[in-house]
Amino acid sequence: MALCQNRLQEERKQWRKDHPFGFFARPQKNAQGILDLKVWECGIPGKEKTIWEGGLFKMTVTFPDEYPTKPPKCKFVPPLFHPNVYPSGTVCLSILNEEEAWKPAITIKQILLGVQDLLNDPNPESPAQAEAYNLFKKDRVEYERRIKRTVRENAAP
Amino acid sequence: MEQLPLPTSLAEVEELIRALYAPNTPETISKVQEVLHRLQRSPQGWQLAQSLISNPDNSIKFYAALTLIVKLNRESANLSEDDAKELLQNIVGWTLQSLSDGSGAFVTKKLCSALVTHFIYFSQLWPRCLRQFLFCLDVERSVPIEALDEALETNIIVSTLSREKLTVAIWFASSLVEEIGKTDMNSLKYAQVHDRLLRNGSDIACLLARGFAQSTESTTVDVEAEALSCFQSWILYAQRVSSNFDLLVNPLRELVEPAMRCFGNETHFQPTAELFSDVLSNYSSFFTAAHYDALASLFDSPWAAKHYDELLIGDHNTDGISFGLLMLAYGDAKVQDLMTSTDARSQRFLERLSGLLAANGYVAADDLVFVPALEFWSTFVETMIDSAYTDEEESQSWRPNADQHLKTVVMNCWRKIQWPPVEHFAEWDSTERAGFSDARKDVADMLQSIFTLNGVSLISFFVDLFLQSLAARSWAEVEASAFCLSALSDCTTDDPQSDFELSKVFSSPFFDLLGQAGGLIPLRLRQTGLSLIERYCEYFERHAEYLPHALNLLFAAVGDSILGGPSARSISTLCSSCRSILTGEAGAFIRHYQTIRSGQVLDSIAEERIIHAIASIIQAIVDEGQRLQMFEELYAIIKGDFERSLLLKAQPNLLDMSDPNFLRGVESSNTQGAPSAEDISLQISLRALRCLSSMAKGMQDVKDHVVELEADPRPVSRQGRLTNIQSDIIRLMVEVQRTFNTSGELVEIICNIFRAGFSETEPGPFVFPAEVVTDFFIQQPLETPRSGTLLSTACSFVGSLYRGPRTFVPIHLARLLPWVITMLQALPEPESDTEIAQNGISFVDRVMSRYPDVLFQLQPSQLLEFFFMFTLKVLNGKEPLPKSAAADFWTGFISLRNEDIVLQTTIANAMNHLGPLIAQTLVRNMGGNAARSELDKLSDPLKKLVTQHVKAQSWLEQALFHESFPSTQVTPLEKMAFLKKVVGLRGARQTNQLVREFWLSCRGSNFTYAS
Repeated sequence: MALCQNRLQEERKQWRKDHPFGFFARPQKNAQGILDLKVWECGIPGKEKTIWEGGLFKMTVTFPDEYPTKPPKCKFVPPLFHPNVYPSGTVCLSILNEEEAWKPAITIKQILLGVQDLLNDPNPESPAQAEAYNLFKKDRVEYERRIKRTVRENAAP
Repeated sequence: MEQLPLPTSLAEVEELIRALYAPNTPETISKVQEVLHRLQRSPQGWQLAQSLISNPDNSIKFYAALTLIVKLNRESANLSEDDAKELLQNIVGWTLQSLSDGSGAFVTKKLCSALVTHFIYFSQLWPRCLRQFLFCLDVERSVPIEALDEALETNIIVSTLSREKLTVAIWFASSLVEEIGKTDMNSLKYAQVHDRLLRNGSDIACLLARGFAQSTESTTVDVEAEALSCFQSWILYAQRVSSNFDLLVNPLRELVEPAMRCFGNETHFQPTAELFSDVLSNYSSFFTAAHYDALASLFDSPWAAKHYDELLIGDHNTDGISFGLLMLAYGDAKVQDLMTSTDARSQRFLERLSGLLAANGYVAADDLVFVPALEFWSTFVETMIDSAYTDEEESQSWRPNADQHLKTVVMNCWRKIQWPPVEHFAEWDSTERAGFSDARKDVADMLQSIFTLNGVSLISFFVDLFLQSLAARSWAEVEASAFCLSALSDCTTDDPQSDFELSKVFSSPFFDLLGQAGGLIPLRLRQTGLSLIERYCEYFERHAEYLPHALNLLFAAVGDSILGGPSARSISTLCSSCRSILTGEAGAFIRHYQTIRSGQVLDSIAEERIIHAIASIIQAIVDEGQRLQMFEELYAIIKGDFERSLLLKAQPNLLDMSDPNFLRGVESSNTQGAPSAEDISLQISLRALRCLSSMAKGMQDVKDHVVELEADPRPVSRQGRLTNIQSDIIRLMVEVQRTFNTSGELVEIICNIFRAGFSETEPGPFVFPAEVVTDFFIQQPLETPRSGTLLSTACSFVGSLYRGPRTFVPIHLARLLPWVITMLQALPEPESDTEIAQNGISFVDRVMSRYPDVLFQLQPSQLLEFFFMFTLKVLNGKEPLPKSAAADFWTGFISLRNEDIVLQTTIANAMNHLGPLIAQTLVRNMGGNAARSELDKLSDPLKKLVTQHVKAQSWLEQALFHESFPSTQVTPLEKMAFLKKVVGLRGARQTNQLVREFWLSCRGSNFTYAS
């Protein structure tokens, strides 16, 4: 528990010092206005020169008590149309899976950059929602049209 | 690649080395490299190095030193102790030689690296390697290790070394700690080396103390700079040491004061500042209290004052900000002490730190110290918040001081975030612009934290600034104040005091000015002003008197190309959350919308948001007659679009590109020439459907209502105003779908419209009667695009049926079921459309879970047989999503029990028939066919099978020995052991682990991991 808090303090400090352009990540406030380090509100911009460019997608990152032994859970709010995002909004990505590529050394910055990469480079091996996965596989034109609309609806300010 | 032959003479080797460093094609270079590598690795390598080292050519000498390193790394184990001693003496000798024969510095450095490599393998021969090297430098010859006992004290040796020799010694010391630092401290192989390195601590202290004490006479050798960089490497290393820590850290600490004196030298100021900043940030415990005190005095000196003043007015891009970063690193290391301090010196220091937020120039473009200073103050504020909740009130005597500093911080930030004049901004590059915007966001973040400490007084502060700047017509200041107030919107609650303060802003003449066309107010300020309205949405809910004016402002901006998008979003947020106080405005807003759209083509997303806004107001109208009246007015506009679209499709010659009603159908992203009338008609319909979908979402109720499950369904009247509206909507959707029957996008939007009604419990224009929805689905032809989306919508429909009264549910399920299964039958392969397969299986699963009778009475019965086989095939397949749905289905099926005897007999018969097939499919998966990530899901039906069916064991046994079992890696004995354990566990959780292990054995031992 203390390890989790210390690590998150450090992550916050590092993030303030150095974060990639266009992203945001900050701990949420609880009802008393105190920061809750275990729930972060993040924003992931679509990468330049991809169909995702111009969008900013909000994601909640929730850290378990066992963090950093266990990975945080990343969830797009509202859920995002993407082959590797579950209908609930939860992101399916190997570095976020304890049994796959999660390592305690992975930083929040790396996670957010990883999710940004995933946007334009979905992994067809691990589909999480049928709608986006099916369109991605069967009708790329329609898929891209949907993404472009999603980007307009979530335009970066 | 063809290999070059090995050279036969030294001259040839030299030629090859020269060729390696000369400009050449990559192929030539790799060929040369290859032959030289072979030579290095050959037994003659040592001799080669020795011969080459005396060559006058620097690059050949360098290659010789490199060869020594390669040989040491590869063949140390073959050297006897005497060999190693001789080699050491030789390398030292060559290093000394390189000092006097005019060799390049890079040669000497490489020889130092060779010495370090020697130490890594033979540290036992010369544990005090640094002293040994210094001794040899002093006597100018390579003396045997044994002679070291007779040498003078290290500090005496170093006191007479020339600047050149000192430099070489420092190179060696740097390389020593850096190279050893790269090896693993905890491995048995290197533990001794690290331990011996520590014992060189007092020698390094003597060497560097002398290095720092050099006079500043002008010379080509900069010993101090070398010493600073070497010191940094040793501190970095010391930080990682865990045992015998004092052996190294204490001597290194002695060097802090000598190093601090380097600040005084202008040339060395920057590296010294970087060294101290680095250690303060990364290893603050290295410094003792005395060191911190010395640093604090230094910061309080006239020397520091001069540097500070230069920083505030200086050119950061040219002169750097080292001094500022040093102050901030100190502040960061001591933040807790500084925060609770009350002494004058600390207060002066904090004042200067807040002053760093007020350097000359614009953030990011000219002022580079603002952002790191802001970071410090954010930490400071968070430290204050921590202590505010943990410390006793009485012990906070420091609080007034800290609050005073924060006031300055806030004021300085407010000045800094003010936008430059437009023409100035235009000259910035994209990085500078982005940097400036980012800094504003960071300020907003910090203000939110400060609010936790200061509460409403922070709001008052910015309200006052807002009003003062407004009176002075100082727009950049008004903008900054509005921005800061916006930032605090999430912090304020319905506190009357903060509402009182905000009312001063919202009743100010600012919003009148904002409404004036072609006005006074610059664009940026208009944006910030409009977003201020949106951010304080909740305030407007409490203060309806300001709301219509605010909305009028927003509506006025909707047509603007820049402000339109954000304004529409604000309108949507405000109308949705303040719907019940705006009901009287519905008619006016509809006319507003009509006026705007008759003059121009709105951005489609902005338009949808406005429709959503108006619909949510309509939803809140209490009187049904009036509500439907308003609904019809808005709906009529959209219906007009549909009709125009259908007409245009039928009569393309009607197209009139000067009419905004047709221009709506030209996609803004369309760049491929003029669209056809057909395209335009489709686009008009799509837009209209999206608007209809926004209406449906707006009409969703925001209050919760209780549902009576046992009650009768509401009587469905075939007449009445609401029914007429519903029929009209359905009729339109059916007609549009029939007209544009190849558009998948259209199907998707229609599904969204249905979905919006499913979650509703009260009647409404989009809450269609169940039979209307069922009719719509079952009339869909098989070739409808996006059928998978239709099926997932049907699943949601079943969910909504289950939430309502039960009476007619089975009838709808019985009508839908054949349609769903026929859709699955139409698939060429079970996996050819994952969305159809997944949603189709889920649909049947939902029916089975609540109404198994409906499922088992399905006619014709072949449909059900087909479905069972289909679902088994999917379970046997590779597509994760339908497979997971199939696993869920079979888990449910296996546990199915019913009180009705007839039905139970049917279920039992089906199970008897299907049991062996289910077992076979599961076993094939567990025998290696499944992906690892699917195993948990697939264990569920297995666990149920074992606990629910007596024949499970024999079914599984047959399956394990069936010819379709995919693996040959497990023996019959292992299969039986697995079966015995699975049965023995009786469905317990450990089954999952067992399945994993079995699956791994089936995949074979060399397999470690796959998805």
